Amino acid sequence: MIDVVFLLIIFFMTTARFARLTRAEIDLPIEKGEQHEAPDEAGLIINITRDGAIIVSDRTVDLRRLEEIVHREIRRSPDRPPRQLKMLIRADRHTDSARLNQVVTMLRSLGVGSVRLATQVP
Amino acid sequence: MRIQRKPSRRRPRSITLNLASMIDVTFLLLMYFMVTMVLAQPEDRLSPSLQTRADSTAGPAADFQPQIVEVLLVDRTPAYRLGTEIFRSKRELLAALAHLYTPAGLFVKVSDGVPVGFAAAAIQAARDAGFEQVTYVPDE
Repeated sequence: MIDVVFLLIIFFMTTARFARLTRAEIDLPIEKGEQHEAPDEAGLIINITRDGAIIVSDRTVDLRRLEEIVHREIRRSPDRPPRQLKMLIRADRHTDSARLNQVVTMLRSLGVGSVRLATQVP
Repeated sequence: MRIQRKPSRRRPRSITLNLASMIDVTFLLLMYFMVTMVLAQPEDRLSPSLQTRADSTAGPAADFQPQIVEVLLVDRTPAYRLGTEIFRSKRELLAALAHLYTPAGLFVKVSDGVPVGFAAAAIQAARDAGFEQVTYVPDE
């Protein structure tokens, strides 16, 4: 029983830590999304906060730095064309679409064919 | 005279660890981490594609007039425009989209200044109306 309890403790410790590392505090749009689709790999996650800051891997970056990161992501998988790259944008629902438009325009210029917009299930 | 140590009659005591207090501490730790854990909100995804040259010229969809939903500010209030009609709510937009030809796909053009939530609502409405191909077009 102690073994099981210790395993539970380790589980809660690790998951709490991971949740902090991977998710920025963002108020996502409340939409049901596309629940019929099978969940696939997350790919590059781009967070856009309410004040328009861009956060990637827990670091605030500007548009130019984000472009370099996406470039690096494209180079990392040369056998896969940029159109097939997986990008997930987690944008705050209150933030101005201007920031999202800038990011999308940049991704499009790099040949990225599709993005996914994260939503919060109501 | 030799002094011999008298062999002890007592049996060697086995060392035992009282686990009761340890279990208490362990349970307290478990309770602490369970209570302090931040439950992550469930997330889902909308998958609009981005407008590219290949998308806009190739395929049978190119034979049709592009159907465009604009998400823009009308009198400083976010609204949706489909053709000449203005819709103030997602429900109205969904009702209008339901009459459109879905295989042709839909462009969602989002103007600067509109909150992202309205752009997501327009994409969701398009998906709910049955559009498989929804293309996000940023305002330029």
